[in-house]
Amino acid sequence: MALSSNTRANGGGSSATVAQRLQKELMDIMMSPTPGITAFPDDENMSQWTATIEGPTETPYAALTFKLSMEFAANYPYAPPRVLFKTPIYHPNVDFSGRICLDILKDKWSAIYNINSVLLSLQSLLGEPNNSSPLNAQAAELWDSDQAAFKQHVLARHKTPEELDA
Amino acid sequence: MAADDELAHFQKLSNDYEPPATGPLVGERQSSSAIATEYEAADPVYRIKTAALPDTYAYFRTCRGDGHCGWRAIAFTYFETLLRIGDVNRLEDEEVRLSSMHNLLNLAGFSQHVYIDWVEEAFDLLRKLANSLRAMDGSGPDILLQTFNDMSTAMAIITYFKLLASAWIQSHPDDFAAFCHMDLKSYCQLNIEAAQCEIDNVAVVALAESVVKPAGIGLEIMYLDRSPGEEINNTYRAEPTDHTGLPLSHPPMMRLLYRPGHYDILYKAEDFPAPVQYSQPTQSSLHVALAGYTDDFVPTASNMSDVMTMIPGMYPTGLGQRWPSVSYDHYPSPAPQPQLAPVQTYAPTPTPAVSVAPIAPVTSSHQDYVSPIHASHGNHHSIHLEPPVTLPIHPPPSAPPMIMERTPSMAAERGGPFRPSVYELEPGFGSGPRHALPFQTSIFRNSHFNTAHFLNPDFQPEEWSPDSEYATGNRGRHKSTSQ
Repeated sequence: MALSSNTRANGGGSSATVAQRLQKELMDIMMSPTPGITAFPDDENMSQWTATIEGPTETPYAALTFKLSMEFAANYPYAPPRVLFKTPIYHPNVDFSGRICLDILKDKWSAIYNINSVLLSLQSLLGEPNNSSPLNAQAAELWDSDQAAFKQHVLARHKTPEELDA
Repeated sequence: MAADDELAHFQKLSNDYEPPATGPLVGERQSSSAIATEYEAADPVYRIKTAALPDTYAYFRTCRGDGHCGWRAIAFTYFETLLRIGDVNRLEDEEVRLSSMHNLLNLAGFSQHVYIDWVEEAFDLLRKLANSLRAMDGSGPDILLQTFNDMSTAMAIITYFKLLASAWIQSHPDDFAAFCHMDLKSYCQLNIEAAQCEIDNVAVVALAESVVKPAGIGLEIMYLDRSPGEEINNTYRAEPTDHTGLPLSHPPMMRLLYRPGHYDILYKAEDFPAPVQYSQPTQSSLHVALAGYTDDFVPTASNMSDVMTMIPGMYPTGLGQRWPSVSYDHYPSPAPQPQLAPVQTYAPTPTPAVSVAPIAPVTSSHQDYVSPIHASHGNHHSIHLEPPVTLPIHPPPSAPPMIMERTPSMAAERGGPFRPSVYELEPGFGSGPRHALPFQTSIFRNSHFNTAHFLNPDFQPEEWSPDSEYATGNRGRHKSTSQ
């Protein structure tokens, strides 16, 4: 609090407020990390982050790690971050370029959400896809009809972080 | 089939289309006749309703229609009304009261860690407003407008208000469950906490109950739509109550104008003291007329008066003294009055030849009124070369506006530092509703010309008088309804 009022007194514009808020979120993530989730800014201007989530156990994504990019606009947290899957993923609510269909990243976004809650929501989306409004209709169909075949597709599409960087 | 899909797609695009919001987040207060102008070409119902609008609601203020306008309108008017009440203690009390609602927020599952930044922005604003009231520098309205036009600060305050509404609804299930048609938590997440959601009726009620009414403020929402009628409809009204549950009489009101999908802010004329330039000299100057003064009065002791105007700090107050130049000020138009001609005589052109002789006796007889700085008679030669103090502002406590509306030349012609004495005033003067001192400039307020300044010879601390305040308010209302 003392920190934030100091920076305000220095006349920070809105991007300064965003950086401030993200700084605080980074601090929280560092101080109390959530198992299975990491997030870190790409550089000091804080507007681009890279995050990872681990696939929940007992889902086709178990033991897989997924890399995501997060981009924060100048009006964050009053607008959702732009989140993309960097790791190719086979999922009913993610298209082939990694775009995600999740209500809280769109119209249900609230300023009380943060990086951690977004990543947790995405993690639970892996285990509980919303098949009523799929981006990948084939995946939605397969999820309901044939879990084994679904898992095949997931594994076939997945790349480890090392493969991704190569 | 494809054509249908395409049509459906276009329909969806069209439904989703929102024109880019323009204009300031919160606009300047302006005459509500602008609304009537806006609807001139609209259908008759709108025309009639908006034409009647300025009679009751003299001013309005726009809010940008970016999906936050209702929240913004309520938050802005809440702070503005507190500022208008003008009580530093009230602003401080509000901070304490809102702080006490952190429990409510915590109970609704919001983490203090997350919302405290937004709360701080709101409290920051309360403190700035309180400081401006304390300094009496009149900067409050500007601070408020700037704050609400800063996107990030305004959104912080709006988000805080959203959380208060959400927490209030969730903690009062009996009052709200019937209107929400789903469990309150999900309802609030969807319709209140969402970053991009327009305020709905449930949230309006929640904010009125949680934020507005406990602050001793009322909230009214006027609805402008095509329903039959000649005036906009009052759709919602919340009145604050005292601790016994009785409604407060004449609470300060916040007023919003609702047009389907959009909120703006409305004001009644009485919500604001008339700006000085609007005051009518003819009306107010009547109070200053001297007892026994008649229009056909012809100044006789012109030399004498002339001399007096030369002496700074001279306040001729004897009952026999007459200062015709004073009366001229009260003719707002240069109507030819027979005694206007001698006005030149009283103009502050120094005529040293005349000034020397009579000075000593005069000053000595008025020593009480000579301020120390001017007490030395010896140097009056150097002093009188300067124009006499042009704005001898020593209004008696109830003096109506008498200076500000004058043109500079008129003020100069006023001549001597005339200070009316209560004994010269017409019987009955001051028995009418007291006016707040019209001098609103900070320069005046902080100068010793202000009777509230301790250096003023007529020092009189400012007093707040509920009777007169409400009396003025009633007068305004009366006027507007009779139109």
